[in-house]
Amino acid sequence: MERDEEWRPKRSGRGDSWGGSRGVVAAAVVLACVGFFLLLPLAATSTPVVREIALVTRDMAFYLEGDTRPNPTIRLQAGERVRFVLRNLDPGINHNLAIDDWGLATRTIEADTVTTLELEAPAGSGTQSYTCSPHREMMRGVIEVVGDPR
Amino acid sequence: MELDTDSWSGEGAFTQVLVDALRTIDAVSFVRVEDASSSRADVEYNFMSNELFVRFQTREREVRQRRFGMIPVRRQVEEAVMTMNGLERELGELDDVGLPDYADDGMLQYLRTERIVPAYQTRGYKLVELVRIYEVGADRSDEAET
Repeated sequence: MERDEEWRPKRSGRGDSWGGSRGVVAAAVVLACVGFFLLLPLAATSTPVVREIALVTRDMAFYLEGDTRPNPTIRLQAGERVRFVLRNLDPGINHNLAIDDWGLATRTIEADTVTTLELEAPAGSGTQSYTCSPHREMMRGVIEVVGDPR
Repeated sequence: MELDTDSWSGEGAFTQVLVDALRTIDAVSFVRVEDASSSRADVEYNFMSNELFVRFQTREREVRQRRFGMIPVRRQVEEAVMTMNGLERELGELDDVGLPDYADDGMLQYLRTERIVPAYQTRGYKLVELVRIYEVGADRSDEAET
């Protein structure tokens, strides 16, 4: 009996203290989980989605990577963020990508090098030319902006 | 020199100049001319692309080797009498051809541009002729990339 009496308060004392911190930990975990799921969509919307468009220059023309049509029409959604990745496959000929009316251009690159151009399409629909600055006549295509802004 | 033009439309004045120049080089034994698929035209330009494939004369040379690292043997090997670098130099010495705009181990590239203004027109169009010369059997540098 004496041993029980000695033992019980100590035991119960420790038990209360552990029960309290366990509750705090559980509450924190629950809060973290709820917060994570609540903030997840917010985080997704705050990081803009950037579509990558791979272009190559070959035989004095632009091509979408894997496509055979020279100087293709490129369609963008209004307000869409895109990153043009330009790879020059024309040995001995330097190229760039320029969208003059938007005031955008990459640096001119040599063969087997890559450059990028990131932009946000305008909110309104319309068309715009893209060119290679040194070879404007032959290397010219159309960017078509379609749809409502996102 | 053997010339194969079956796959060539005949378009390209500079291509013809090159073919004529290659005829004068003794070390060239064979030339095949082809239209490249990238040729195209628009209102403001006419882009012509041709490819020439050349083969050089060969000669036999005796080389000494050791079979199994021990037994000395002599073998006859066939080797080209000219390289692409040599062809580049030969063409560079010709007034109407000149040095290529670009060259690497497997390819010589000439790019010729001129503005053609037909009679009674003011602006005309740009004529661009791209000619690439490859050695038959060698790896094509552009194919290796794509």
